[in-house]
Amino acid sequence: MARIRLEGVTKRFGDVVALNDLSLDIADGEFFTVLGPPGAGKTTLLRTIVGLEKPDAGEIYLDDRPITRVYPGDRNIALVFQNLALYPDKKVYDNLAFPLKQAKMPRDEIRRRVENAAGVLHIERLLNRKPAKLSGGERQRVALGRALVRDPRAYLLDEPLSALDALLRLEMRAELKHLQRDLGRTLVYVTHDQVEAMSMSDRIAVLREGVVQQVDVPENIYHAPANRFVATVVGSPPMNFIAVKVTGANGRLRAEHESFEVESLRDTGESLQQLAEGGVSYVGIRPEDVTIVEDGKGIPTTVYATEPLGGETIIDLELGHQVIKSIAPPTIALQTDAKVAIRFDAQRIHVFDAAGRSVMSAAGADGVFKVSFA
Amino acid sequence: MASIRLDQLTKDFGGLLAVDHVDVEIEDGTFLALLGPSGCGKTTTMNMIAGLETPTSGEIYFGDRPMSRVPPGKRSVGFVFQNYAIFTHMTVAQNLSFGLRVRKPRPSKTEIDSEVKRVAEVVGLGSMLQRKASRLSVNDMQKVALGRSMIVKPSIFLLDEPFSNLDAAFRAYMRAELKHIQHEIGQTMVYVTHDQVEAMGMADQIAVMNLGELQQFAPPLEIYNRPSNKFVAGFVGSTRINFLPAEKVAVPAPKGTDGGSVTLAIRPEYIGLVDPGSAEATITAKVDLVEPLGATDVIHLSWNRYDIRAIGRPGARPRIGDNIGLVFPFRHLLFFDDQTHEAVNGPYQA
Repeated sequence: MARIRLEGVTKRFGDVVALNDLSLDIADGEFFTVLGPPGAGKTTLLRTIVGLEKPDAGEIYLDDRPITRVYPGDRNIALVFQNLALYPDKKVYDNLAFPLKQAKMPRDEIRRRVENAAGVLHIERLLNRKPAKLSGGERQRVALGRALVRDPRAYLLDEPLSALDALLRLEMRAELKHLQRDLGRTLVYVTHDQVEAMSMSDRIAVLREGVVQQVDVPENIYHAPANRFVATVVGSPPMNFIAVKVTGANGRLRAEHESFEVESLRDTGESLQQLAEGGVSYVGIRPEDVTIVEDGKGIPTTVYATEPLGGETIIDLELGHQVIKSIAPPTIALQTDAKVAIRFDAQRIHVFDAAGRSVMSAAGADGVFKVSFA
Repeated sequence: MASIRLDQLTKDFGGLLAVDHVDVEIEDGTFLALLGPSGCGKTTTMNMIAGLETPTSGEIYFGDRPMSRVPPGKRSVGFVFQNYAIFTHMTVAQNLSFGLRVRKPRPSKTEIDSEVKRVAEVVGLGSMLQRKASRLSVNDMQKVALGRSMIVKPSIFLLDEPFSNLDAAFRAYMRAELKHIQHEIGQTMVYVTHDQVEAMGMADQIAVMNLGELQQFAPPLEIYNRPSNKFVAGFVGSTRINFLPAEKVAVPAPKGTDGGSVTLAIRPEYIGLVDPGSAEATITAKVDLVEPLGATDVIHLSWNRYDIRAIGRPGARPRIGDNIGLVFPFRHLLFFDDQTHEAVNGPYQA
């Protein structure tokens, strides 16, 4: 059992607030990812959980026991760093056995644990090699193995894949998810890579400047983001934001653009108070939910650029004074400056207020928004 | 005119062949991407085009003119590097106008001002002309670097991983901007990158390099759909292409060199997903893992100890452990010789 809970944790470095009154509740056995850009406070968060940093305020609990004052070595939480620290002069076996020897564990038990970890990570045949003779992915596995042999209650991983090349990262992503499922242990994973976060996690916490923006399952982070920051952090290319004028309240939201209108079909009640009458807000729509229609019945746009990526083509479109992105099948052939009509998937529309906070998301549901065009 | 021709271009760094007899030819106004992993020779190739390195053998032509003895300053090339070089004590406008102000004879103030305005609009800095460069975001600094090179109207524009330090959202934005700019001004561009999405998305022609050798030189979709060898097939594509021994899959496969074996390759998005018993299915595989990416899922499957990746829709997500039928459409199959790793023509082309 290892539920990790943070309550009102604040950590300052001089004038910089690295973690700002941060609360999280990570369930036992969960693959929990902290996602954010460099400088968001991700690494500080991990270091605080493991005990390498002492919070200025707040409390950390392991299960229901407060551990903020527990010595790092006694927390039994393993931290795997971004930069793999392996002993270059020791064989893989001895690299794995080292922490156990330090703990004065009996030799048989050490052998059993090392072999067990090697089996889980598929590195049995590498046990007699030195780190220099390993590939990047193999070294990564050995570094994980060093954490595994200690049989900790939870694993904290700090950007473990960032040093690997793109293809290897792809493979390791799948392997890590497998591994975590097999181990059934709590794993807190820190990354700035949205693909890693989306593909591996049970839940994601999006962090910005030490403040948690949203904690949710990947689907909701993607389809019902709490604000524009979250909406931009996941999805590639990122969500389009189109400036609109909000009019006609009457309990229903109505967002006007010079060439289209988005209307809420439900009573939006209180959330409307977030939007000042006649104020500027944003309609958010992901590139894959913008479709180019052939019958010309849609919102008029002009092709700004086309980016064929092989499996799909990104079409950049001028809509009023903005450029938005649309994802089209690779078979599409459009010239720059061509006039094309587009439609938005009404089930995937989001409305954000001027400050970027989400007002409403269709989040896949029908009958939330209606889109009309001239 | 700024067509470029690389003729048997070679650079030998004391026994290390960084660039090995590379032939590439592009017309004026082409957007050329040099694509490959680190150490493939792409930056060395660009440095030779710029004049920062001298070729060991071979020649570079701009139009009909051999360039290897022309000093860099006389080549009329503009650079933008990964680490932007801008004057942080100057304003955006002063940075942009710098190349014109040092020119002899010096253009009139009116000319300089109108050029600065025009270029600032093109790179998206129109509203920031009077701002100190030191107060810009890293994204805007890179726009200044771009504008500064652009304003002197080089006949060739060289960009070495200009966006690799910037965040993903800005890179996606700049891809479209750069492609649009290039379309507007018809500028010859050489763009060095290890990011296949950038090369695919922006270039008219891609030169894929590995270990100093040119692997393939073709337009993006040809690189994607007709890779010349296994390396190119594996390097291009966001989700890794699948390789399987052709003999184990019930499809008519060509023969390799000396009648040897071949590897079958199919891109994940071309694999159709059907019921396990379906007559359409080429093979039946077991679902190991589903990676949701938002718009799509990457489905990892195993079949005969081989890993296969397919693309699924979040609305129809299979469960781990399920068997599903995979359809390999004939026209999307690629074959590679197991001895040479070169592409072998499949039956689809006959």
